[in-house]
Amino acid sequence: MKKYLCLGCGFSYDEALGLPEHGIAPGTRWADIPDDWVCPDCGTPKSGFDMVEIPYWSEATS
Amino acid sequence: MSVRFVLRAGERGYSYLPSVGPNASYVAGHPDGVITRHSSFNFHEYQSGIPGLGVMKVFGDETFTPGGTGYNMHPHHNFIIMAFVVGGALTHINTIGKVDELREDDYYVFSAGAGGKHSELNIGEQDLHVVYVWVVPGQLLAPPSYRRNRFDRAAGANRITCLVGDEQGALPIGQTFKVSRLLSDADCTHVYRPAKQNGVYAFALEGDVEIADAILTRRDSLALEGEDKVEIKVRTDGTDMLLVETKL
Repeated sequence: MKKYLCLGCGFSYDEALGLPEHGIAPGTRWADIPDDWVCPDCGTPKSGFDMVEIPYWSEATS
Repeated sequence: MSVRFVLRAGERGYSYLPSVGPNASYVAGHPDGVITRHSSFNFHEYQSGIPGLGVMKVFGDETFTPGGTGYNMHPHHNFIIMAFVVGGALTHINTIGKVDELREDDYYVFSAGAGGKHSELNIGEQDLHVVYVWVVPGQLLAPPSYRRNRFDRAAGANRITCLVGDEQGALPIGQTFKVSRLLSDADCTHVYRPAKQNGVYAFALEGDVEIADAILTRRDSLALEGEDKVEIKVRTDGTDMLLVETKL
């Protein structure tokens, strides 16, 4: 399960969590999100996201 | 000594963002208001050019016309966004609850973390010149924070002053990243010592310097890697530079 960061605004997508509030179920792989999907916060296209390997603050401090 | 790239002022990405048309909701200001942005990296352009250096993804040299021009409230997460005011005054409003005015030599560090919005406006009567730097954070969804500080021109003359990073008087951001400023009117050589594995991005705001056999003039820049000593030869016109050090 990987995480992706929007380079337009910093919005993060986590495959494990999905975006249920935007109709993307938990566990949805990045590759399975349509190519015309855009960042829900800023409209940056899917191609403007970078895969990142960064822990959550809550994990790093717990 | 290894030069990763030299980027001339005119080779940078360029965006012209008027306050009317498709940007009308994003860009504030009266109908003649416009933001111009020179991007060293691929801000909103992702397909070509230089993708950034280390954890730095954006280095934007921007001008806002007077009278209310700026960015309306818009959301961010995660990125650590810094603004260095080079001229004019920046009014910054954010959802942490801060309304701030920053003048020449002031700067802020806004860590968007778990989510925040901000607005950036020039409500003054002269152009606002500001350099924005965006850094990928060491942790995702941290509590948002906003801090500001000021470059002291008198104390900082003819030396390298750390503005952001783990040094006394600077604003730390909790990872291997520094922004320093060199303001020099004297014809001499300054030495910057990065940690050996780090990259250095040197951007000439003004003036004239020689670094690694390259001459940089106004708004030119270069990136170096594998250095533990960077010699900056200030030439006759003096210089005002920003130096960014990042892990690669």
